[in-house]
Amino acid sequence: MQIRLDADMDKDYVLGLKGITKRFPGVTALDNVSVDIERGTIHGLIGENGAGKSTLIKVLGGIYHPDSGVIEQDGKQCVFTSPIEARRAGVSVVHQEIKLSETLTVAENMFLGNLMLKGRQLVDWKGMRRRAQEIVEDLGMDIDVNETVESLSVAKKQVVAIMQAINNESKILIMDEPSAVLTERELDTMFRIVKDLRDKGITIIYISHRLDEVFELCDNVTVLRDGMHIDTLPVADVSKQQLVEMMVGREMGLEYPKETAPIGDTVLEVKNLKRGNVLKDISFKVKSGEVFGISGLVGAGRTELARAILGIDSIDSGEIYVRGEKINYHSFKNAINEGMGLIPEDRKLQGIVQVMSVKKNTVLANLDRVSRRGVINAKLEEQYSKEYVDKLRVSTPSMDTEVQYLSGGNQQKVVIAKWLFRESEILFLDEPTRGIDVGAKVEIYRLINEMVNEGKTVIMISSEMQELIGMCDRIMVMHEGKKMGEMDRDEVTQEKIMALCV
Amino acid sequence: MNNQTETLGKKRNLASDISRLSKDYMSVVGIILLAIIFSISSYLKHGAQYFMTLQNWTNIMLQSSTVAIVALGQSIILLTGNFDLSLGRNVAFISAVGALLMKNVGMNTGLVVLIMFALGIVLGAFNGVMTAYVGIPAFIATLGTQYIAYGLAKLLTQATPIPNLPASIGWLGRGYVLNNIIPISVIMMLFVYIVAQFVTSKTKVGRNIYALGGSQEAAFFSGINVKRYTFGTFVTAGILCALGALVLMSRLNSVAVTNGQNYEFDAVIGSIIGGISLAGGKGRVIGTMFGCIFLITMFNGFSQLGVDPFVQDVLKGIVLVAAITLDVVRNRKKA
Repeated sequence: MQIRLDADMDKDYVLGLKGITKRFPGVTALDNVSVDIERGTIHGLIGENGAGKSTLIKVLGGIYHPDSGVIEQDGKQCVFTSPIEARRAGVSVVHQEIKLSETLTVAENMFLGNLMLKGRQLVDWKGMRRRAQEIVEDLGMDIDVNETVESLSVAKKQVVAIMQAINNESKILIMDEPSAVLTERELDTMFRIVKDLRDKGITIIYISHRLDEVFELCDNVTVLRDGMHIDTLPVADVSKQQLVEMMVGREMGLEYPKETAPIGDTVLEVKNLKRGNVLKDISFKVKSGEVFGISGLVGAGRTELARAILGIDSIDSGEIYVRGEKINYHSFKNAINEGMGLIPEDRKLQGIVQVMSVKKNTVLANLDRVSRRGVINAKLEEQYSKEYVDKLRVSTPSMDTEVQYLSGGNQQKVVIAKWLFRESEILFLDEPTRGIDVGAKVEIYRLINEMVNEGKTVIMISSEMQELIGMCDRIMVMHEGKKMGEMDRDEVTQEKIMALCV
Repeated sequence: MNNQTETLGKKRNLASDISRLSKDYMSVVGIILLAIIFSISSYLKHGAQYFMTLQNWTNIMLQSSTVAIVALGQSIILLTGNFDLSLGRNVAFISAVGALLMKNVGMNTGLVVLIMFALGIVLGAFNGVMTAYVGIPAFIATLGTQYIAYGLAKLLTQATPIPNLPASIGWLGRGYVLNNIIPISVIMMLFVYIVAQFVTSKTKVGRNIYALGGSQEAAFFSGINVKRYTFGTFVTAGILCALGALVLMSRLNSVAVTNGQNYEFDAVIGSIIGGISLAGGKGRVIGTMFGCIFLITMFNGFSQLGVDPFVQDVLKGIVLVAAITLDVVRNRKKA
């Protein structure tokens, strides 16, 4: 104990949170949280959705004011009553949804709200461009500072947001799940930049869902659960399994509970599918009971392939066979009638109707099954939706709760329930676990097991290679619209996929 | 733990029930309050009761019926998350065509009625095609239609009222049933609202309309034909414009370019007071009927109190802003 205390004395803390509590009507988002952040380190902040991560960031960024507790910067108490004050004190936040002016240039964005002036009123454009160029070169990035932000990729937009922070001479940079929108390669660049910044003495607070990143990047890590501070410790002292258990508060089973289902006949066959530049001669077959993975970088044409097969986008040439019969369809509706279903990429926007109840969302894709002559039978609707919600173990206060109030994992289960209720046999899952808690992910995997055990076919698109390797019977790799290869479960490795990805 | 979550769920339900009830019936409560206030003020001002009379209420209901019939179309469009600015001027244009065909051409009334409905369908279909298939924002497409319809109405009538329409359509706006107490136009209003309430709340079509308003993308990815439904709601609104035009010209026994003026906005105010959300996907169409009656009752009361009509316009603007503020506040998500 004594030793630990002495060690603590040596440490140089740039930021200290002392007993921060923040309440909202009905919830305590942060409950007496105390965390010290060491200067010049990358400090990971992890926890499930609702653990209090975002609230903590908002308190640090001056958006929320704690009900009690204090923030100390360099050992002195400080109060941020607005984001501007926080920024002046050297605390910058790079939000997940990047807040930049799309129509302004990179240089202009970097100086947003902080323009360089010539004399008293005139803007010093030249000076700003020069300074922007310096920062870009410093980061070793290939970005034209005169380009408008809207033409940049998401990854580069994030870099611009970071440059904005550097330009503001931030001492503390808070990054809210930057990796959620990045591909693996972009991630490497991001990691390099973040490590560079640390080596220059900037402290980084890095929020993430992905534990692998925490191990790769962070020096220390803080775990939050249900608004409470569980622990803060050096990453070197902890295992992944331990972190997961701290996050979910219970022991976890296998990360990927794969069960192999009996494989049946070919249900879907795609031959020489072509669509402009996005799909170049794609052919593959999938059998019933199979989980078929589609891997590749963002922009490889994975979602586009699903959309083409599902009749959402038109194709230039190629054939699609369902259970051996060639199908000619023109719309998504036709594909649904052929027994296909799609759990789309953007759950909140495309998967669920947020303001509708759990019950109504569940039956939405198959109203015919609960209605007679177009009139909905309320009893049947209640009964069926309850059956599916129970079967998928959706946790909801009631059937009439609007889906927007459920957690991400439960929302995704409702989307899956919708297609199971439609009795779809071939299910496309596009990034099915994106933004979902560790615990809930495993539940989604179990549902995938159940689906294939019932003889359905699952086609899973994912950017998380581990997830594909863990859950799929076969994986197809795509790159720039081309099929690069296909591997069986027993021969697949991350290295093999990566080799085909690029 | 389990018990706790259960009671929490129940409490939340009770709270949401109360908020839902207050939203659904706010306009009914509003009408009752207005009735009390205006009855008292009528006594205070005139020393006699002019407001709470059968004749005055018949009047209120007559006026409400035409606005409410057109407003129903707006409500259905609002439910899908769209908006129609052309409704009021469509009424004027359809009436003008109808009046000219009856009076100047001397066409058979039944045939004219059919033509008026066809015209309503064409106007709605135009809005629908532009919005759903061409992809122009509804706001702009229907603004265009508004000007086209108004321009054509002025052109056809030379901006001169056409009075004394054939007696054969008089019954629609001026006829009564049940001991000459209940106006036929009110029956018409009730009829379309009951049908619409049933369709929107009990049928597949209705459910899909709500899904569209909740999220067009999610509706699409559930296999709903978003374009066809969007088109359909505009056509429905066009048909209701034709019905509104008929009832209105019959009641006024005259057609002028001012027929139906501002109906589209009155419809929005009525819809929002009635509990329909501007953001789409929420509310009950029957609420719009009460919302419209509320609006008409209010202005009837103001007129009796001798409030300057120009001031009434100002008040209408205030009510519109207040109603939309209410809608925004109601839909603001809890942090």
